[in-house]
Amino acid sequence: MKRKIIYTLALLALIATSCRKESKLNPESVNAVSFEFSFSTPDRVKAQVLGMYSGLKAGDFYGGRYIVYNEVRADNYINLTTNAVTAYQVWNFTTSNNAQEVTGLWGAAYSVINRCNLFIDGMAAGGAATVGPALAANYVAEAKLVRAISYYSLLQLYARPYWDGNGSKPGVPLRLKGNSVAGNYDLARNTVGEVYAQIIKDLNEAETALPLNYTTAYDNTIRGHRNTAIAFKTRVYLSMQRYADVITEANKIVSAAAPFTATSGVANALQANVANVFKTPYTTTESIMSSPMNATTDVVGGQTALGSYFFSVREFKLNDAGIIADAGWKATDTRRTLIGTATISGVPSKLMGKFATPSPYIDYVPIIRYAEVLLSLGEAITRSTNTVDARAISLLNAVRQRSDATTTFTAVDFPTSADLATAFLKERNIELLGEGLRSPDLLRLGLDLPAKGTVSSVPSTDRRYIFPISQTELLYNKLMTDN
Amino acid sequence: MKEKLLVLFLLILLSASVNAQQKTITGKITEKGGLPLPGVSVTVPGTRIATQTNEDGVYSITVPNNTTLLAFRFLGYVSKTLTITSGTINVTLEEDTSTLSDVVVTGYGTVKKSDLVGSVVSIRGNQIANRPVQSFDQALGGKAAGVQISIPNGVLNNPPVFRIRGTNSISLSSYPLIIVDGVASFTGDVSGSNAAGNALSSINPQDIETIDILKDAAATAIYGSRAANGVVVITTKRGRTGKATVTYDGWTGIANVQRLPDMMDAYQYTDMKNEGLRNAGTFNAATNAYALTNGPDGNPINTNWYDYAYRQGVSYSSSLSVSGGSESTNYYMSLNYTNQQGIIVKNDYKRLGVLFNIDHKISKTLSVGAKLQYANEDNLAVISSGSLDGQAFSTAGLGRVALVNSPNVSPYSNAGGYNLSGNNLGIMNNKVSQVGFYNPVVQIDLDRSYNYLNRVQSNAFVQYRPIPMVTLRSVYGIDYLYSTNDTFANPVNGDGFAALGSAGMSYSQNKRSVWTTTAQADKTFNNDHTFSLLLGTEQQTTVNTSFGAGRSGLSDLAFNDFTAGYTQFSNTGGFGENYLVSFFGRLNYDYKKKYIVNGTLRQDEYSAFGPDKKAGTFYSFGLGYELAQEDFWKNGKIGKVFSSFKLRGSYGEVGNFAGLGNLAPNSYYSPGLFGGAPTLNFSQAGNSEIGWETSKKLDVGVNFGILKDRITFELAYYKNDIDGLIYNVPQAPSAGLPNSPQTNIGSMYNKGYEFTANAQAITTKNFSWSSSFNFTYNKNVIESLTPTITQFTSTTSGLETANISRVGTSLGMIYVVTTAGVDPATGRRIYVSGSTGRKMLYDHASPVASRWKYEDGSIAPGITSQDQQIYGNSQPKFYGGFNNNFKYKNIDLSLTITYQAGFYIYNGTQASIMDQRFWNNSVDILNRWTTPGQITSVPRVVAGDNMSNGSAVPLDINVYKGDFIKLRDISIGYTVPGSFLTKMKIASARVFVSGQNLLILTKYNGTDPEVSSNGGSNGSQGVERNSVASARVFTAGLNFKF
Repeated sequence: MKRKIIYTLALLALIATSCRKESKLNPESVNAVSFEFSFSTPDRVKAQVLGMYSGLKAGDFYGGRYIVYNEVRADNYINLTTNAVTAYQVWNFTTSNNAQEVTGLWGAAYSVINRCNLFIDGMAAGGAATVGPALAANYVAEAKLVRAISYYSLLQLYARPYWDGNGSKPGVPLRLKGNSVAGNYDLARNTVGEVYAQIIKDLNEAETALPLNYTTAYDNTIRGHRNTAIAFKTRVYLSMQRYADVITEANKIVSAAAPFTATSGVANALQANVANVFKTPYTTTESIMSSPMNATTDVVGGQTALGSYFFSVREFKLNDAGIIADAGWKATDTRRTLIGTATISGVPSKLMGKFATPSPYIDYVPIIRYAEVLLSLGEAITRSTNTVDARAISLLNAVRQRSDATTTFTAVDFPTSADLATAFLKERNIELLGEGLRSPDLLRLGLDLPAKGTVSSVPSTDRRYIFPISQTELLYNKLMTDN
Repeated sequence: MKEKLLVLFLLILLSASVNAQQKTITGKITEKGGLPLPGVSVTVPGTRIATQTNEDGVYSITVPNNTTLLAFRFLGYVSKTLTITSGTINVTLEEDTSTLSDVVVTGYGTVKKSDLVGSVVSIRGNQIANRPVQSFDQALGGKAAGVQISIPNGVLNNPPVFRIRGTNSISLSSYPLIIVDGVASFTGDVSGSNAAGNALSSINPQDIETIDILKDAAATAIYGSRAANGVVVITTKRGRTGKATVTYDGWTGIANVQRLPDMMDAYQYTDMKNEGLRNAGTFNAATNAYALTNGPDGNPINTNWYDYAYRQGVSYSSSLSVSGGSESTNYYMSLNYTNQQGIIVKNDYKRLGVLFNIDHKISKTLSVGAKLQYANEDNLAVISSGSLDGQAFSTAGLGRVALVNSPNVSPYSNAGGYNLSGNNLGIMNNKVSQVGFYNPVVQIDLDRSYNYLNRVQSNAFVQYRPIPMVTLRSVYGIDYLYSTNDTFANPVNGDGFAALGSAGMSYSQNKRSVWTTTAQADKTFNNDHTFSLLLGTEQQTTVNTSFGAGRSGLSDLAFNDFTAGYTQFSNTGGFGENYLVSFFGRLNYDYKKKYIVNGTLRQDEYSAFGPDKKAGTFYSFGLGYELAQEDFWKNGKIGKVFSSFKLRGSYGEVGNFAGLGNLAPNSYYSPGLFGGAPTLNFSQAGNSEIGWETSKKLDVGVNFGILKDRITFELAYYKNDIDGLIYNVPQAPSAGLPNSPQTNIGSMYNKGYEFTANAQAITTKNFSWSSSFNFTYNKNVIESLTPTITQFTSTTSGLETANISRVGTSLGMIYVVTTAGVDPATGRRIYVSGSTGRKMLYDHASPVASRWKYEDGSIAPGITSQDQQIYGNSQPKFYGGFNNNFKYKNIDLSLTITYQAGFYIYNGTQASIMDQRFWNNSVDILNRWTTPGQITSVPRVVAGDNMSNGSAVPLDINVYKGDFIKLRDISIGYTVPGSFLTKMKIASARVFVSGQNLLILTKYNGTDPEVSSNGGSNGSQGVERNSVASARVFTAGLNFKF
């Protein structure tokens, strides 16, 4: 009997010790910060700032694909792999609403926008107190800059150009508040004009609050400073054909005469050799803003990286009939050294070689660089004055002669201002090849997307002139409408 | 005959009344094979006189002279009651294979099937043993009503789609809870390589005693919040008192691929592709054309890529066990080794496993026991088969590469070495940029993708009976699963090309511990009222820790090991933990075995639910009524027809959380890096209200038997009403949330009928036939999703959307664009607009802007995914099996037929093999349109056209009915006669040959109608996309007992 009691007690003790463990029922993450503590230290706030840029650098966005899509929509490339997941359908204009390119970029852009919105909200709700008002103002300005770049980029692919109806066409839904929980997010498209207005508002506010510069060339390249906001405004206004505003903004960072440099803030200027812009350390003053790649920590992968598309894996080769065929672009032009050659399937071929480093793809992705600002300014002067302006020619020469000292443009080369405008467009095509500006350049002027290889041209009236709207957006945002 | 028996009976009675003294009866009890059975209880019915057989199976019992009957009972064997006719009664007991008269495991205990209220199917281990499978679940197809097993493809150790009474979840797992000897097992594919690794394969099928499948609330409620998908309880073999029995089971087999599509050869390919170029207007013999290339033998190269991707797989398996025991100690030990080759080259499976079960009685009231099971498994592959969930469009995918690579080039160049062009297959004489994806032969030669599993599934228990009616038991069990992956992608060609070679090593440690303590009280009052009460507590902790490293950029291309020199490094890590603590109780009551009442209550608290949702209470209530025990029934005419007739019903509520994130209720910011600097980003929008999914299960059934239960029937109606279905409510992408927060929002039901008939159809001395047929009808309907969302689509590998789930339909309906044939005048495919119903024709040869035209020739907007329509359901409405066992003298024959019907399959592979890029095509393309007026179903070929045959947007032309009847398994055995064996000191021996998948009757034109390119996913069933085909296996084997 005694034994029975002992055994029973022992078993009861077992049961008693097996009682529930409260702490195990309420687990905490060992590797993530709870939402409510995400602004609790200065380090966390700063990490969030860089997080917004890292969102911009997403593979589907400025990590590579935004540039790729805007390149291959135009006429400078021939697809080699017919691979439906590497922009083949963007190239031949067959993307459907649920094409990965269409849904992926849309999602990536809005993911950044929400990060910015959450950040702006969180700073107002206490984050500013964590870091102090001065730094808080800088940080919020960075958020607005990133948000503006994201909205602008969305408009280039998913909305009709500004000239079509003077901004009255459907743009994208403008979201300016952070979203953190499930909810009803039905929101109709704002007009193109409304979205542009918000972009300009953000950039203006960013311009006032961004620091003039950072302490390192690296930070001056990867984070927004005042000149970044100004430079981006030149791109935005050019897209809106508000040439006077392009001039106003550009003049803030372009000296009156050659050599053209920024006179305040970061001393943005052309490099002596354009090839240096695309080489390590990638942080010259010409790169106003770029997405950094760090080989050991965060590069983008294949099927994303520019080097993978255009050079290493060779999804696309340069179109022999594209800009590389231009006779005015001399063989001795330094920019020709950024074109690779290869024999592909027995055919001597040219490759876009600005991003030539093989995997890991450590070449920085340019978001905006100084040469573009000069060309935008020159073009804006030309188009707004309808004259063959000397300063405009000087700006054109600044870019051309940096790489081709043997060519000097003079007024006689341009019988009309239209010829000069065309020259600017061509110079942009040469200078900015591979940097994602060709398709937006064509669209902002209402030019056809030219034919290439087996793909016919797409006129500005065609539905395919812009992307369709993301299928998932159409499904889950009841107020959304397709293009 | 009857009269003779009567006379005999009277004579015995007479003799008994004359000599009212005692007599001794002796005898030997053996099993079918002649092996002595120790520990068999021998009793005189209605008295307390009893004994047991000794180690040699011999008994001796002294009984009053007037005793007429002796009963022989032994667990696992059919009891016999025999008339005493002489002083020696030798008995052969048959192993009990029927499913009605046995005990069944009901979770934390067992119950006699006759006392059962719940819906449980009990499958004995021998019904699934000796099959050429990697895991036992692959052999369960067709064995039980309500249980659907589909083998997705021929990749070894790929977990089957396993459903009990329909698909019971949308976002969480629909896979049943698997309990192995009291411990909830890990399930699913636990390999981190391109080889599949079913978590259940660690269990040697030969070691399984029983598999009990619990289906309704009464049976499953004891498992509370995890029981919504049904519960499968595995019990491994334990020792029995008696002399040691040594069992050897071995088989060897060959597997071959079957039902591969017929592809064009090099000549047909070259002509067809050139025709495509001509039709596109881009043919140029010098710069844009396909051309044959002569091989080293001077003849044109004509490659059949199947020869490189598939092989004849040779497999063997050996299993050796020793079991036995004394009065106080029983043991079962087994050792198994299996080495199986799949039909895909270098896809191997190996397992070395041991199991040791021991039970020991310390005293009459105290006993202890333990189980130690260890398995070492190798799941080996070289590269992606393109056939596991998420792989369908993998560039390396062997399934697709073997189909679409050009037959007019060789994997080897004529100079020797590999035929390569950049990272693609070399083009040889072709004048186009690409004629293949990767060169698979390079990868087959140089790559590897290995997974190694080490698994410990063990437990120990102490059991104490302070008073006879009470049993206290405490069990501590573990399931430790260690998964290691070793992968290498070569720098020459394939996935490692761009990175100049890459190697990966990863390790995942999954540790689960379960501690269960129960108290069971059984008491019968006044012979009529039997109570059985179970109370228990259980806690389960599961911890996952993982890390992995990748290295790329070989410093010396000669090496292929992870430890070689590399230039690039990456690493990953993961951690997760969850905790479940439970209290439960169950009360069974029966009155005279006629009226049975059963109630179950369980409270679970789970760590991954929201702060106010952690605790949940689950219950069931069941009633049974055995009419055949009623006097009116027994005495009436009806009692002569029905030897048993039980009505049963139950209702209850259980839950599901399998697949829920460990930290689902919380919102987080996660760290990252930007140019090497730390970042913090919003990474998870949690839902603090998240809880379990509830399944309210209703089950009504009748079980009855005729001809003394020689033929039994079971009919059941069930309905599972699932509420609070967790749904990752999709938010507008423009909201920018990092994830779709999980919300308990949807509702769905599965309802259906089950019918099972078991028959001991013929039992004569020389010939016997037993048969079991089951049939299930299941209807799955989504009742609601969210107030605003009424449908969602599911993709195949993230790229193709061919399934939609809509309120009012079943999960995963096939969703495709409607077409209307091929225009005889132009050879263009005719499509039907989803919105307007207008017909549009597509011509890939036209400029992009004018490819789409209406029938009147005006420009049409074109077909997009917006035009997709629901075609039909992908979940089978009907399924079941037909199992037969024949025995004639020493020859036995068993066959299993399975069937599924009433569903559709989207054969996306057909879109791949009709695609007009460089891809090789099925010979069906030879029927393409060539001349005006021609009536055909295949449009004109135009180079580059990926629209006309369904690659770009899924089309209805690739949807087929999936109905099939399959001869799943046939086995013929010969039991060697005893006389011969005795000399060899062998107790029994059997040789057998068997075949799997020998015959498929189906109109489906793909590889196999059971196919699933999306694994066991809920919403994207019924899709075949670039998967490897299925296997047909022949085996021969031996079973010995010593």
